[in-house]
Amino acid sequence: MAHVPTANGTAMTGATSLVKSLEAAKVDVMFGIPGGAILPAYDPIYDSTIRHILVRHEQGAGHAATGYAQVTGRAGVCIATSGPGATNLVTPLADAAMDSVPLVAITGQVPSVAIGTDAFQEADIRGITMPFTKHNFLVTNPDDIPRVIAEAFHIATSGRPGPVLVDIAKDALQKQTSYNWPTSIDLAGYKPQTQPNKGAINDAAALIAQSAKPIFYVGGGVIKANAARELLELAQLLGAPVVTTLMARGAFPDSHPLHLGMPGMHGTVAAVTGLQKADLLITLGARFDDRVTGKLSTFAPNAKVIHADIDPAEIGKNRYADVAVIGDLRETIKALIPALTATLAKGRADLSPWLASVNKLKATYPLGYDTPADGALSPQFVIERLGKICGPDTIFAAGVGQHQMWASQFISYEKPRTWLNSGGAGTMGYAVPAAMGAKVGAPDTTVWAIDGDGCFQMTNQELVTCALNNIPIKVAIINNESLGMVRQWQTLFYDSRYSNTSLESKRVPNFPMLAEAMGCVGLSCESPADVDATIEKAMSINDQPVVVDFRVHRDAMVWPMVAAGTSNDEIMIARATAPDWDSQEL
Amino acid sequence: MAIHKLEVLVENEPGVLARIAGLFARRTYNIDSLVVGPTENSKISKMIIEVSVEGHSLEQVIAQLDKLINVIRIEEVLEGAISNTKHDTQPDYQN
Repeated sequence: MAHVPTANGTAMTGATSLVKSLEAAKVDVMFGIPGGAILPAYDPIYDSTIRHILVRHEQGAGHAATGYAQVTGRAGVCIATSGPGATNLVTPLADAAMDSVPLVAITGQVPSVAIGTDAFQEADIRGITMPFTKHNFLVTNPDDIPRVIAEAFHIATSGRPGPVLVDIAKDALQKQTSYNWPTSIDLAGYKPQTQPNKGAINDAAALIAQSAKPIFYVGGGVIKANAARELLELAQLLGAPVVTTLMARGAFPDSHPLHLGMPGMHGTVAAVTGLQKADLLITLGARFDDRVTGKLSTFAPNAKVIHADIDPAEIGKNRYADVAVIGDLRETIKALIPALTATLAKGRADLSPWLASVNKLKATYPLGYDTPADGALSPQFVIERLGKICGPDTIFAAGVGQHQMWASQFISYEKPRTWLNSGGAGTMGYAVPAAMGAKVGAPDTTVWAIDGDGCFQMTNQELVTCALNNIPIKVAIINNESLGMVRQWQTLFYDSRYSNTSLESKRVPNFPMLAEAMGCVGLSCESPADVDATIEKAMSINDQPVVVDFRVHRDAMVWPMVAAGTSNDEIMIARATAPDWDSQEL
Repeated sequence: MAIHKLEVLVENEPGVLARIAGLFARRTYNIDSLVVGPTENSKISKMIIEVSVEGHSLEQVIAQLDKLINVIRIEEVLEGAISNTKHDTQPDYQN
C-alpha cells in the first residue's frame, strides 16, 4: 500500500501525528511492544501502512531495529512504553551507539503533569540514555511531534550514524494538534562536514606516495558510507595490503590477494603484524579501538597516520593523526583516487618488498584449528562449513564470544552488510533479534544467526516473533555448554579455575525441543560427518525458523590472541607459542 | 596544568546543562568552574567553562563538546587577547 502524504495543517491527535510523521519519514517497519503510556500511539498504528512487528521483549525490538539498519543502511525503528519498556531498550541503544547504527527509538512517557513525581512506570529515559544516544528528545507539546521526528531521523542517519530516542508524554499523544511536517531541517548545532578538505586530500596523497610500507586500516565506517567499491579501487590503485576490523568484515573481499584479514586481539598474524610494521596507516572509518591497538603506546610504532573519518572527535582521540581528513568516506575516497593517481604518476615507492614480507606472514600463519582426537565436533569446523555451504550472499549475525570470533575468522566475507555483530558493546544476546531484523530488511536473503549457547539463552524468545510473523531465520547454536570466551580467559589467566562458566547446556535446555516449542524446526548435530547434511537440511526449510544445536567440544580456543593490555608484538598463535619472528624479514 | 576557558553557546533547552556535565563526567574531563547565563537571544544561552586539561587534549574536549547537538559554537577565551580563538573541530584544515 503506497503511502499517501498527509496535508500540513490537518487536525488530529498527537498520536496520529506521530504515526503520520513516521510514515512521512518513510518508515516501513518497526519493532515494538505496547504499554500504558505509548498506548495512544498504538491505535493509529493499527491503521498505518507501517508494518509493526510485535516482539516478545523490548531488547529484541532494539536489536532487531539494529539488524534491519545494518543490512538496509536505513534507520531502524523500535517503539516501547515508559518505565521498564523504555529501560529494556537501554542495551540496544548503547549497542547502536558503540557501532554507529542509525536507530530511532520511540518511547511513551507518563503524562507531563506526572513527570518527576515517581509516577507508575515512570523512568527518566532521556536522562538515562544521554550518554549513548547521539541525541534524544522529550516531547510534551503535540505540535512538536512532526519536527522532532524529522530531526530524529536526520540526526540518526546523517554524519556519523547513531541512535536517537524520542520520549513522548502520554498527554502529548492524546491531545489535539495540527500536523505540520517540516519542509527543511535547521539544527544550529549540527552541521556534519561531508565534503573532505582538498588540502587534506592532497597531503594524504603525498604521504601515501612517499610510503614504502603503507597499509589500509579499514573500519566499519567504509560500510556505513557505502564506500566498498571505492575502497577496492583505491586499494588496487596503490597495491597496498588491507586489513578489515571486526566491524568492517565484508568491506573488502576476503578473497582478494591484498587482504590480510582482521587485525586486533584475535586477528591474523599478517594483519596484526602488518599494522605493527607499517610506516603508514591509511585509516578509513576506524577508531583505534583498544581491541585493535593492544597496548596503545606500542601500536604501529613506526607508522605515520592518515585518519579519515566523518566524526572529528575521533581524530587524535587515541592516536595522533599526521593527516586528518574529515568527511563522508565515500566522498573522501572518491577525492583521494584522482589525487593519488596524480601523485603516483610523479614517482612512487617500490612496495614489492613490503608486500612480499606481509604475504610471507600470510602464507606462514594462516588461520587454523586443531581437530580433537576423540572425533568430537570442532566449533570452527561447523562455522567454516556454514560459510562454505551458504556462500557469500548469506547474511550472518553473530552473538558475542568465541563463536563470534570464529564466525569472523572462518567465514569468507565478500560483500558489505553480510556480517552483523555487536563489535563495540559486545552485547551477548544480539544475534537472534538482529538476525530477525536483518531478515525483515532483506527477506529474500538467507539469514543465519551464529550464536553461543550462553548468548542464545538471553534473547531466544524472539524466535516466537519470527515463527508468528513469517521471518524464517536460521540459528546455529555453537553449543560448547560454556561461557566459552570467559572460560578461555580462565584457562589462560586464572589457572583453569572455571568459576561460573559451565552452563551445562548439553543437558538443559534441550535446544531442539525449545525451538519446537517456539514454532521453529529444531535440529541437532554432534558428529563432523553430519555437519554438511544438517546445514543442507536447515537450508531446505524456508517456511519456518530453524534452530540447529551444534554440540561441539568445549576446549577449543580462539587463536591467534593478543592478551588484553599487552602489545600486538606479543601475539600468540597458540598457547605459549609466538610466531617464529627470526624467520621473518620485516 | 593548563586551565582553558571556553565560551560555549548552547540552545536554551531543558537538559542542556545535564548533557554537558554528563559529557565531562563520563569522559573524565575536569570542570574547574562553570557559569551559565542568558544571551540577547532568549533561545540561546552562554556557558563559560573552565576546564583543566589533564591526559586529554583541548582539541579533543572541544571536539566532543561540539558533537552535542545543542552546542552551537565553542570559542576559547584567551586572557588579554584582543579576540578569541574560534575552534574548528578540524584543527589543521580550516575551511
